[in-house]
Formats: sequence, structure tokens, C-alpha cells
Amino acid sequence: MEAGTPCSGNDVLERNLVLVERVGLSRGLPPEAISVMLDYAMSLRMGGVMCVRVLKFLIPATVVPQEAVVRAVSWLCVGKIAISTQVLFLRWVLTVFDMIDSKDHLRAIYGFIFSFVTEESLSPYICHLLYLLTRRESVRPFRVRKLLDLQTKMGRQPFLLLLLSLYKVFYPELVTLALPSRMRSGFKNHNSTWKVALSAVQKRNNGQVSSDISLTLGLKDKTNSRKRKFHHLELPSLSSSIQSNSSSRSRKVFPLEQLHSFPQLLDNLHCIELPSQMGSLLGSSLALCYLDYVQDDSAFLRLNFWLGHALHEEFLFCSGDGGSGSSSEALHFLNRLLSTQHFLQEGFSSTEGFLYKFLNVWDGSLLRPQILGLLSDIPVVPSSCISQLLFEPLMQLFFTSTLFFKCSVIDCLNSMLLKWLTWHSVYALEDGLDISLNSHTPMNMTLSGFMDSVMELVRFVGRLATVGLQLEGCHSLLLSFILDFYETVCDMFLKYGLPLVVMPPVGVFYPALFATDPVSVDRLGYIMYRYKKNLTSAKCQQQETKQAFHISRQTYQEFNHYLLFMVSCLWNSKMFLPGMAIEVDQELLALSKVPEPWTSFDLIHHPAFLGCALDFHHKCWPERKDIDLNSIKAGKQWDWYPEFLFSQGFQGLQQFVQSSINRRSAAGINGQRGSQPTNR
Amino acid sequence: MIRRIYLTSKLNDAVIDYFSLSRFQLHHGKARCSKSTSCCCFFSVMEERSSIVKTPLNNVLTQRRSKSYRRSMRSCVEATNLGYTSGHLTALRIPRSRRTPKSRDITKQVDPDQVALLVTKEWELSYVTPLYQFRHTQLKSYSKHLSAFIVSEKQQGLAIEVGQELGFKVNFSVVLGLAETDEDAETVFIQILSKHAFAAKDDAQKVVWSGWLTCVNGDLEYLRSLPSEFVSLPLLCTRGPESLTVLVKSWFEKTFDCCFGPLGINSTNLQWLAALWIGCHPTINIQYLKLVWTLPTLPPMDVKYTIHPQDAWELWDSVRQDDTTDVSIEEVTRFIKGLQSHFFRHFRIELSAGSLMQVSTALGSSHHSGKIKIASPTYITTILQLLTECALLKMPI
Repeated sequence: MEAGTPCSGNDVLERNLVLVERVGLSRGLPPEAISVMLDYAMSLRMGGVMCVRVLKFLIPATVVPQEAVVRAVSWLCVGKIAISTQVLFLRWVLTVFDMIDSKDHLRAIYGFIFSFVTEESLSPYICHLLYLLTRRESVRPFRVRKLLDLQTKMGRQPFLLLLLSLYKVFYPELVTLALPSRMRSGFKNHNSTWKVALSAVQKRNNGQVSSDISLTLGLKDKTNSRKRKFHHLELPSLSSSIQSNSSSRSRKVFPLEQLHSFPQLLDNLHCIELPSQMGSLLGSSLALCYLDYVQDDSAFLRLNFWLGHALHEEFLFCSGDGGSGSSSEALHFLNRLLSTQHFLQEGFSSTEGFLYKFLNVWDGSLLRPQILGLLSDIPVVPSSCISQLLFEPLMQLFFTSTLFFKCSVIDCLNSMLLKWLTWHSVYALEDGLDISLNSHTPMNMTLSGFMDSVMELVRFVGRLATVGLQLEGCHSLLLSFILDFYETVCDMFLKYGLPLVVMPPVGVFYPALFATDPVSVDRLGYIMYRYKKNLTSAKCQQQETKQAFHISRQTYQEFNHYLLFMVSCLWNSKMFLPGMAIEVDQELLALSKVPEPWTSFDLIHHPAFLGCALDFHHKCWPERKDIDLNSIKAGKQWDWYPEFLFSQGFQGLQQFVQSSINRRSAAGINGQRGSQPTNR
Repeated sequence: MIRRIYLTSKLNDAVIDYFSLSRFQLHHGKARCSKSTSCCCFFSVMEERSSIVKTPLNNVLTQRRSKSYRRSMRSCVEATNLGYTSGHLTALRIPRSRRTPKSRDITKQVDPDQVALLVTKEWELSYVTPLYQFRHTQLKSYSKHLSAFIVSEKQQGLAIEVGQELGFKVNFSVVLGLAETDEDAETVFIQILSKHAFAAKDDAQKVVWSGWLTCVNGDLEYLRSLPSEFVSLPLLCTRGPESLTVLVKSWFEKTFDCCFGPLGINSTNLQWLAALWIGCHPTINIQYLKLVWTLPTLPPMDVKYTIHPQDAWELWDSVRQDDTTDVSIEEVTRFIKGLQSHFFRHFRIELSAGSLMQVSTALGSSHHSGKIKIASPTYITTILQLLTECALLKMPI
């Protein structure tokens, strides 16, 4: 188009413009069109009115070429455009900012853009644009001074403060300010009509480019409704430190405050700068990723100092405003700590130190799930002090609290054991026998030291379980948690490669065997089955490799003892015989007037399976009125009965029977003696 | 032993004699004592209402539970110490014996002007976790930053250029010579001066706040276990308006990633202080030994107990087992027990049921809530060493 073409009454122009407008608003304009139209509009070849009109339908379909924006800014410098049009242009740039294909040339003219900041009506938009473009290199003392001058002239304008706060992120040693909470919302310069049109276009184009223009300042909104005098539970906000900046001015650094996405983290992994207060990392999973990656000892120490201080002040020194009322904050804090530890898959050493002190004074009810959760995260405790630090305080709490507390303690110890074993299986592979369990605390441990600790823990739970079951009358809920624990214990060799097998104490085995619910008996069957697997493979390995480790003879004896008893009790209907684990005087038995007392715990008469037996009886002889359970024991029914039980979902029992009992088919009388003691 | 009994009886005689002279007047629950010659007892019952009464009714139940729970916790925490090594930092132990205080002319090592800043003022104590990347060489820039920080916090929402002339001036300075061992970091003294808004140009600026961070004879093992980026100055003494203290602490937290907490002086440490001051008596006249107990009665009863220095010294001398340079905790307990039983004999009040709240002599005074005043520079290191210990015991790791 030639310069000097009249704009009024130019039908060709009008027609073409309408066409472009329609395309722009419906499908968006391709990059080249944006470039041409923007240049056309900003050059004012057709005057200011046309410029405004063109800007209004300049909706990009895919991206905006940055050269177009740079050229437009250069037109801005010519200074012919009306101020309102300049504002419109800047708002357009801000709206489509995320769609500009690259920004390096724009950053190169940072100084030109900065010069507009003194223009009063442009200033809010220029500040916003600068905010989006600012890099560490662009923060200069003279610019800071210019902005501060403006501040004295214009007062505390939010846009100036936001830009200055960004400058502070990069150079805290140049400028300092405290943002009041009402100013933390960010810039509000977007044009909603463009945004609507833009999102409509993007939706139509299947949302190829999704631009989320909302600015996050990374400032947490403070939800503290109640003013606390002491803020030790408050996470500090992310901010860069004066310290490292001044020492490494020349190096390119990326403050964590600027980190918003995982790809960004990967791009800047080499130059990320830790914040001034490590406590602030607890709030951001991205930052935690980085922390886990750098393995910086002093960073961890700083975090531990802060964390330990917060925990000690809140729960031990109680220098704050009493206990009541702060419990929701404490809850929030501990939950956050827990999720952090789970994220990092390790406990902090300050949490550990705190817990040892806190266990001595804990009432067992304050924030129970959180405290037990933290407790299950502690790394392996050396066996020399495990009893003093962990067992004694826990034991006191255990015996004096409710059933539910007992269950949660057992559960906590189970997950603690699981974590220890997992650590072992991971690190033992890496470093041979010497396992460094926690890379941040140089607590190295030999395999035998580790085994001692595990042994102590398992025995301790055995003691707790024995007494707990007695105190609670063998409550099936507690029993279930205890069996959970032994499901972990019985598989230590095969699943985690730890050459250690510990059998449950009698106080756990017999209550489980004589439990009134079939689930417990079934799980005991599974546990015995796994024990057998572990023991046999340990034996094999021992014979093959002739290694020094061996599982003590006593463990095998204990296992055989239990197995024998279980088989003869459930399968062979033999009990109370001399030489067995449970001996009862015959006369005493006679006094009880129970007919055939030795059968009362076989698979048919066991209180746990009585219901199944009745059901089975009914299915076999639907017409029979008088029930004779003993008839199941005869003939084919005895073969079918176990199958029936297995079909009811007693998989553990099935595995136990299949692994430990040789069943001879078509055995007519009273089942088969099939116990097979192993590994004598 | 014989000597001790003799001394106690002598003390008794003195007091009985004193009673008979009726220099002791009781009125309105407060006791006064006219000028005493050998020993006197200030004995006052404070008519304080317990604060529990003010608690809103609906809160009482929950509060009571947590209160008692917390109190028991606190006593337990203070009583036990954990000798467990977690990570690479060693848990500290509460010392059972100390060196006898040695008189030392501190002004020979430390600038007397600076010493004058520290003594004869009452300081509020806090503990500080180790400072990350604190450098004694950067004090000038810290001054600039802290003053800018204070102004910007006071004027929310106004950006401040660092290094500008402002209403506040902050001075960081090093007090060289207070450190005892090579591991001790040198003491840092901070002063905040303020210029009145309408002051003339040449008006002197007024000191509105001062504080210092120190470490004297800190536990060597602990200090050595810290990585080199950390500087441990565990004791902070402050003096000035609370609002400025909060700002200074928050600036330190932001800049050096450290944490502050209040540092109280528990009964045991107050007893130590009493014993240390008494031990100084032969060289410097302590003039009096005043102890304040609070007894858990309803309403709480405060007992002020003032002992003539010579009597106190003789009692102390008698409980000292030999003339070694170490004082053991047993000796201190025996000394305090002696004072308590003496009091019991006359007033039938068992002071050991209460807690010691305050100790003061002419050499200085200290309060349970964490306030200390050191009147004489001679024994300043001994006191600071004890306080450093208290502060280090508060470290989370």
C-alpha cells in the first residue's frame, strides 16, 4: 500500500479490512499476517483510527513473531502515536506476551522500553512488560534509582513496587522493601475482550498454544487469622539471599523464587541458587526436588536447624502462647513435614532428635497420627541405644493407652520396619555390606549392626504384641495389626535379602491359631507358608555358598514346633497330647465335659471355621435335619471340604495346606498324617 | 562437717538474736527490715491473682489439659538431657562441675569503652542457632542492609535503596578479646541510632536499641562439628523496644538463615550464678545476696531472702569440700539446701517446694525469665560462659 492513500471512502481498504477482521476474530491470524498488520498499523500510514481498529482484531492463531513486536516498539520511539493508542498497543503486547515466539531481542531493547517508564500514563504497562522481561542482567543500580525517584514522585504505586520487588529478588543488596499484603495480587492490565477472543480462537484451534497469563508472584497469602506472637511454625517465604549474590555476582544464577515448572528446573539445574531461608523449601515440591538432587550438606543442616527449632519451640519449650488454639497450625505443620519426608523418602535428623525427646513427654493423644507417622520415618537406630531412645518411652505409652493406640503403634513399627528393610535392600546392593542408610547423616552401619537393630525391633514388637493381646483379650483388630507386622517379618530373607528369620513368640502364635475369626487363622497360614519358603531357601543358599551367615538352629526348631502343632491341631485332630506345646491334664479335660476335646480345633470344629463347616454340611446333605459335623471327616467329603474352604477365599490356608501337608487322595479315614517337618 | 554445724548454729543464733531485737516488722503481708547487721530476711506475700481465673469458661477444660501436659513436658525436658549422637552433631551435656570464677581484668584485652557498653545494663537473653555465612569482615554492609530493612519494614510498601541516608543508623562492631578459645567467634555488638525527624543537622543521634551476639568458652566439640560456613554466636543479649528486637531478629533470620528463641535461666542455673557470685566475695565485696523464690500457693507467694555476704561466704566456704579449682553441682545444691533449711527453721516454709526466680548481688542480677545484669567487668567471662552453655543446650541439633 502506498503512503498517502486516502483512508476515508476507500472501499477496497474497507472490504479487505473487514475480511481480515473476520478471519482474525474467528481463526486467528498467522504469524506473517500479524507481522504485516502490526507494522501497517503502527506506522500510522492510515492514521490513528485505523491503527486502533487493526490492533483490536490482531488475534494470533499460533505465535507472534518477536521481530514484529520489536519493530512496533521502534515505531513507538518515533513518538507520533497518540498516548491512548500506545497504551492499547502495550496492553496488546501484554495479552499476547506468552505467544511471542522468543524474547531475546525484546530483552536486548530493555533499555529502550525502560525509558518509557517515566511517561505517566504508560508507566503501569511498561512496568508490567519490564516485569515480564527482566533478567538478572537487566537490573542496574541506575534503573533502581530511577524507579525510586519515580516512587517519590508518584507515591507507592503497586506496579512500581512489583517491579522493584522483582529487582530485589535478583539484587537484594541494591534495594529492599516490604510488600503489604494488599499489593500482592499482581498486575491487572489485561484486556478482557482480547482474552476472550484469544481463548475462543485457541479453543477453535484445538488449544494448540495454551497461554496462562496469570502472574504468580510466588507469595503465599497468609491465612493466619489469629495473630500469633511467635511464628516458629510459619514457613518463611522464598527469597534470595544477600549473601551469595554478592559473592557470585559474575556467575549466572537462577533464584528459586523464579522457578515455576519442572522443565525450568531441568534447564537451570546448574545455576539454581538456594534461598536465604531453607525453611521455605518445605512449601514447594520443585524446590525439594532440587534439594534432593544437590545433596548439599550445609543446606540440609540449615533446614534441620530451622525445623528442629520450630519443633522444639512448639512442642518442647512451649515458649509460645500456650498450647490451646495453635493445634490446627501444629497439625498443618506436621502434615506438611510428613509429606515432605515422604517426598524425600527419608526423615530429617532434626525430626529424629526431636522425637526422642518428645516421646518421653508425649501423652499419646496429641496429634497422634502425625507423631506416629514421623516416628515411622526415623532411620535405623543403632541397637545399643534403641531401647533407651525408642522402646522404653513407647512401652510406657503402649501399656497405658487404648486399644486403638496399641494398634497404631504396631502399625507405626511395621512401617518403620518396612522402611528400614527397603533402605537395606536399596543401599546394600550399592555398597556391598557397608550400608550408609541416610546419605545426609554419615551414620554408617555394618550389616551385622543393621541386623542387630532389626532383631531388636522385631523382638520388641513380639513383647508388645504378647502383652497387648493379653491386655485386650486377644482383640481381633489388634491381632490383625500384629499379623500385618509378621507378614513383613516372615519375608525378610526373600523379599529384602536380609539373612534373618525371627519367629513370632508363643504369645502371638497361639492366639492367632485359636482366634475366633477365620481371617486371622488364614493369615497365620499364609505367614507360616512364607516362613517355610524363606527358611528352605535360606538353607539351600547356605549349603550352596557355604557362607558365614546362618540362621540359628533354634529358629528351625521353633518353626518345626509351630508347624507340627498347627498341622496336628487343624488337620489331624490331635491336641493336648504329652510332648506337645500345650499339655493339659487328662483328668482336667474330662472335668470340662467336652466330648472329644482333641478334635475341637480341627478344621471342622475350629470356632473360626464352624460356620463354613455348617454351610458345607448343609450343601452335602441338604435333607438332613440333625447335623453331625464328624461325618465330614469321612470319605470324599474330607477331600472336598478343604477345597470348599479354599473356594471361600482362604488363600493363606490353601498355601499352607499345599506346602506343608501331603494329602493322599482317596484316603478314607480321618485324614492323613502329612506333616512334613523341614530342615531338621 | 563439724564446722558446718557450728556455722549453722551460729547463723541461727544471729537470727534469733535478731528476732528478739524485733527489728523485723510485719504488716499487711509485707515484711520490712530495718538496717541489718548480720542477716536479714525480706519476706513478702504478693497478693497476685492467678491468671487461670481470667480464662474464659468455655476454654477451661481443654486448656487445663494442655497446660498441665505442657508443664510436665517442660520440666521433663529441662531435667533430662539426651546423650545420644544423631547425625554428626553431638548432643551437649549439662555440666556437673565448673571452674571457680577467676578474677580477670577484662579491660586489658577488651577496649574499656566497649566493656562499658556491656556492663551495668540489664539485657534480655535469647538463643540463636548458628549463623550461615556470617562474616566478621562484612559488618559495614550488614549495617547498611539492616538500616534499610528496618526503614522498609516500618514503612510498608515503600522501596528503599540500600545504602541511602535514612532515619535510622545501624552500627555493627566487633568486641575483640571476649572470646576465650580459638573456636569462639568474636562478639558482635549492634547499635541502632535514631535521628529525630525534626532534629537539627548536627544533633547527636540517640541510641534506641542495642544488642550483642556472643560465644564465650562454647563447647569445643559442638563448635568444631559445625561446617565452616556456619558461625556460632549462640547468645543474644538485647536492650531496647520489643518492636526493634523483632525486626533485628527477623533480618538475621532472613540473612543468615538462623532462628531465635527466648532463653530463660532455670533454677539450677540461677543457683550456679548465686554460687559463682558468692565465690567472688573474697576479692570483691558482693554486698548482699538476694534470692527470690515463688511458692506455688494460692495466691502465689513470693519470698525475698537477703543474706549478709559474710554469712553466705562462710556457709559457702563450709560446703566447699576442698580448695580445688572446680565447683561441683553437689556443693551448689548443698549451699542452697543450707540456706533453705535455715529459712525453714524460722518460718516453717519449705522453699524447696517453690522455684528460684531471681538472684542478685552487687556483681549483677539475673531473672528466671531470661534477664541478666552484669555490674562488674571483672567476672564477665564466667557469667557469659554459663549463659553460652545455656544457649548451646537449646540448640535443636
